[in-house]
Amino acid sequence: MRNRRLIVQMVIAWAVAAGIGITIGLSIDWFPGQASSQADKVDTLYKVLIVACVPIFVLVETVVLFSVWKFRMRPGEEDKDGPPIHGNTRLEVLWTAVPAVLIISLCVYAYTVLRSFERKPSTREMDVDVWSQQFAWSFFYPHSVTGGQKVSSTTLVLPQGQPVRFHIHSADVIHAFYVPSFRLQIDAVPGQSDEVRATPNRLGNYLLECAELCGLGHSTMRATVHVVSPADFVSWLRSQGAPAPGIPVLVPGTQAGAPRPAVPRSSSTARVPA
Amino acid sequence: MVAKLRGPGFYRAGLMTLLGIGLCIALTTGVRASSGLHPALRDNSVLTAALIVAPLFFLVGLGAFDYWFYWAAGRPTRPEDHSGHGARSWRDYFRVNTDHKVIGIQYTVTSFFFLLVGGLFAMLMRAELAQPGTQFVDSNTFNGLFSVHASLLIFLFVIPVFAGLANFVLPLMIGAPDMAFPRLNALSYWLLPIAGLMMLASFLVPGGSFASGWTAYAPLSDTAPIGQTFFNVAVQFAGASSIATALNFLVTIITMRAPGMSFFRMPLLVWANFSTSLLVVIATPFIAASQFFVLLDRGLGFNFFNAGRGGDVLMYQHVFWFYSHPAVYIMMLPGFGIISEVIAVKSRKPIFGYRMMAFSLIAIVVLGFTVWAHHMFTSGMQAWIRIPMMITTAIIAIPTGIKIFSWLATLWRGVLHLDTPMLFALGFLTMFTLGGISGVMLAMIPFDIHVSDTYFIVAHIHYVLFGGSLFTIFAGVYYWFPKMTGRMYDETLGRLHFWLTFIFFNLTFGPMHLLGIDGMPRRVADYSKEFADLNLFISISSFILGASTLVFLYNIIASWRGGPRAAANPWRALTLEWQVSSPPPIFNFDTIPTVVGGPYEYGVPGAVHGVFKRGAEVPAPAGTVALPSRE
Amino acid sequence: MESASVAATHEEHHGPPPANRSSRVEPQLLGMLLFIVSEIMVFGAFFTAYFFIRVVRGDHWFPMANGDKLPVAVAGINAAILFSSSLTMHWAQTSIKHGNRFGLRAGILSTLLLGSTFLFVQINEYANIGFSPQDHAQGTIFYGLTGLHGAHVFIGLTLLAMVTVRSFRGHYSPEEHRGVEVPGIYWHFVDVMWLFVYTTVYIL
Ligand code: HEA
Ligand code: HEA
Ligand code: CUA
Ligand SMILES: [Cu+2]
Repeated sequence: MRNRRLIVQMVIAWAVAAGIGITIGLSIDWFPGQASSQADKVDTLYKVLIVACVPIFVLVETVVLFSVWKFRMRPGEEDKDGPPIHGNTRLEVLWTAVPAVLIISLCVYAYTVLRSFERKPSTREMDVDVWSQQFAWSFFYPHSVTGGQKVSSTTLVLPQGQPVRFHIHSADVIHAFYVPSFRLQIDAVPGQSDEVRATPNRLGNYLLECAELCGLGHSTMRATVHVVSPADFVSWLRSQGAPAPGIPVLVPGTQAGAPRPAVPRSSSTARVPA
Repeated sequence: MVAKLRGPGFYRAGLMTLLGIGLCIALTTGVRASSGLHPALRDNSVLTAALIVAPLFFLVGLGAFDYWFYWAAGRPTRPEDHSGHGARSWRDYFRVNTDHKVIGIQYTVTSFFFLLVGGLFAMLMRAELAQPGTQFVDSNTFNGLFSVHASLLIFLFVIPVFAGLANFVLPLMIGAPDMAFPRLNALSYWLLPIAGLMMLASFLVPGGSFASGWTAYAPLSDTAPIGQTFFNVAVQFAGASSIATALNFLVTIITMRAPGMSFFRMPLLVWANFSTSLLVVIATPFIAASQFFVLLDRGLGFNFFNAGRGGDVLMYQHVFWFYSHPAVYIMMLPGFGIISEVIAVKSRKPIFGYRMMAFSLIAIVVLGFTVWAHHMFTSGMQAWIRIPMMITTAIIAIPTGIKIFSWLATLWRGVLHLDTPMLFALGFLTMFTLGGISGVMLAMIPFDIHVSDTYFIVAHIHYVLFGGSLFTIFAGVYYWFPKMTGRMYDETLGRLHFWLTFIFFNLTFGPMHLLGIDGMPRRVADYSKEFADLNLFISISSFILGASTLVFLYNIIASWRGGPRAAANPWRALTLEWQVSSPPPIFNFDTIPTVVGGPYEYGVPGAVHGVFKRGAEVPAPAGTVALPSRE
Repeated sequence: MESASVAATHEEHHGPPPANRSSRVEPQLLGMLLFIVSEIMVFGAFFTAYFFIRVVRGDHWFPMANGDKLPVAVAGINAAILFSSSLTMHWAQTSIKHGNRFGLRAGILSTLLLGSTFLFVQINEYANIGFSPQDHAQGTIFYGLTGLHGAHVFIGLTLLAMVTVRSFRGHYSPEEHRGVEVPGIYWHFVDVMWLFVYTTVYIL
């Protein structure tokens, strides 16, 4: 039967095209470099989405192209009509059920990623207050980090490997704290404080962008994130006037609220702008 | 002169507008004086009041309310007077006309005007974005440009153009002589140009146009310059217009179907507009309220969004998206209807799974109300809300998938007429699938956290709104062009338009996915250097995309004025609108047809959809143009 | 140029063919019901604002710490006035159905008066309440919800005024009283809405 053969041909074409599509999708370098322990999970999720979704798109594409190729009107068929097929219950159940299963599995997977993404880490976290206002960022390291007065800065300096809990605030309108390399975004909302977590895991300088329209200077409301080694971080804090900087990663088992100087005084020069 | 000023029309409208402004000045001065403020016109209160009042006076002057005034006063009304019906010259398109066909064309042409303006703004944006840094426009203007771009294209193009096409064909399709409330219909139309011009006029006031995006998040919009008020008020007018039309459609569909046209014999376009209208009636009040809140905050110092005094900032987003997510289906479901018509007729096959097509529309309507917070995954709302919203959002892919697959099955083994409407319909199938899939990706919270408010969203927006809605609009305009104008469009130009659009659409918006994932935020006039190459490429493609619109424009205008006469039923379609002359007679039907079968029985030997009692299937000889006839 | 297709039917048409009535529901009635649906949604949005400010933020409601409070009793009497106007409206509606013109006129007039009294008391309440919408979000919500409702009362009264004028001119009959029916539905809706506003704002 002609129809059967056509369908077989089409399925083969679809499988090949889907394979190619997935390969292309996976080989494109989509993301900016990973710099937090969360980043990897998001990138994997995206790859799974590619693998799940490209075949669907390619399927639609293949059926359209095949129909155009095989069923387009030839000269002389101007008055011809197609066969009066009104439906097919088996087929309709199939294309309701298969996407449903796919959707539910994707949701479950995304949920587990989200959970692990936002889980409280086992090691103690370091708190950083992030304040946004039109059109600048400022960062405050509280007493628990500095061991004294809080330290403020206009660049965000973070120790490598230290889980951080950001408290995001806004002084005027809504902004968004967005660090693409951390795969992290959250709005800064006036009148409330949002918490997000990240564990920077790669040394380097990263872009922090405001991702919520906040007025004239929105496009220039950027800052730099410096991920430095813990030792450099501590000496940077000290250079900012912190009397007794201490971060949990250097003192396993330290109790909350009892920060102690963790690093012996060292004269190592911070590679961080003051 | 006095007669001109007393009779309905633009003269009286002008006079009334002036009166309205005068009233506002008197009123605000009075209120200020009595409340102990300096009565001089210092702040923007007069402007705000005038924005609301003057258009109403304008409409009174134009004559949109005349009938109701007569009715209310108990004066004799003239239900038998049909002078407001049909168009005899192009001037009639500038009057308050109650004929659904005239209104349909008024709607469609007006909205395409706003497409051009909105598109032009996009061209300016792309020019600015071609390179990092600031070249053509400062960032305030840029913010204004994309805000007005999106507002025009959403509120004054996609939503009304669907209402316009449906206005023209829907009463014909269900065998009704007109809409249920013709005068309300006329009023709905006239609210539109007011809203559109108001948005454009905002560029002229100090501080520039409204510049907080089409989403106008508070508290940014609370404190923005006076241009924002233009948005607040314009949305009220556009919203009122769309509620009134939706109400009209619902009543028309429920009470005025031809004998024999049960719900399951309605063409899917009618189903689509039925479900869309449900969405509009239920959801639109929310955006009206959200803008009302902002207006009160701005104008009278209320504290809806003033966190310092106990206001709740996120409440704006909940109220806004409770409308604006359903709004994206308001912008898509009528398109689904158009595609069903085009694909059935052009594949010469019945729609595959008609009932499921209808049910899936209703499913989308219901689900559409349960997903609004997927726009707020990164907004800092209560974290748990995200999970149910992710699930409902993803589930919408199922009814939508049913539609896509049913269309594909309709194509299969048909006899495909690959002319312009069909090309756009096929283009829609593929491009909307892509946009929908990127939507499902966005529903996955951890991924959305990374790409929210980046160019990935911009890519999604344009794949669903341009590749989705706009492609269906093009398909519909080409498909009903012969019916609406009595002329044929130029097929070669139509295909050229399709291919240019299709190719450069993808080149423009495809790379934006990449930019977004790479971390380029949206709504920026300036961006960091690593994004420069792709942006330049996108800008160049977008200019050609813009130019492809000129092909369409030329084709439409030239064909409308001098194209070959169209036959009554050039597509051999079964639905009722094709059984009358092109363009249809003033009162649509001499007698109401009786419906005896389904609307898509192609290939069924001897199938008919509607019969005309006196055998009077009057495809009147061509020569019945009621449009810019120049001979 | 008269459209040729009309001439082509060889018949002078003076109007469209009457539409088929595919539903037993009156179009005007259905239109009003749908309009009320969207009105309910407008109130819904305002109640959403109320919900967020009172429940989600969990702030104090009236009486507030600074002494701002609501005149629950006066407003309660006022509510009774408004609800009784629903009864008189109903009286007017049933009267005209039975051809009782006096009942129609008396009913509609007393509805108009009761409604105006309600509005008058409400405005008085604003004048004497002692806080303004600018003071705090609670005030904003109070004025927002009651003001929105007040605006609807005003619209309802305008409609009723028209009906009153027409009924005193001798319009309406037992056969043709849609003009009373449809505004009446709106008025009942306005009253029922007050039940919700009063309960949530003043009592709860
Ligand atoms: C016509 C308009 C339209 C339509 C139809 C859609 C449809 C969808 N949209 Fe989209 N969306 C917008 C217009 C639209 N959207 C706009 C304008 C914005 C941005 C607003 C702003 O911030 O300015 C936006 C933003 C937006 C966001 C927020 C992103 C953010 O700001 O962070 C999300 C997140 O979930 C989303 C999801 C979806 C989903 C799941 C669908 C689904 O309905 C899609 C369903 C369709 C398919 C999936 C394809 C066909 C199905 C199959 C072939 C079956 C099999 C498929 C699978 C199993 C995957 N959209
Ligand atoms: C239906 C909806 C629709 C349509 C059709 C378009 C069409 C286009 N859009 Fe738009 N866009 C949106 C809806 C739409 N957009 C929305 C909702 C947003 C979000 C805004 C926000 O963030 O608030 C957005 C945002 C948006 C951005 C992001 C801005 C930012 O975040 O900084 C960009 C950037 O490239 C863009 C580009 C374009 C382009 C190049 C087109 C092209 O397709 C346009 C093609 C051009 C034309 C169709 C007309 C061409 C005109 C001429 C050639 C001249 C003739 C003119 C006259 C005679 C008057 N759009
Ligand atoms: Cu701050 Cu954008
Ligand atoms: Cu949405």
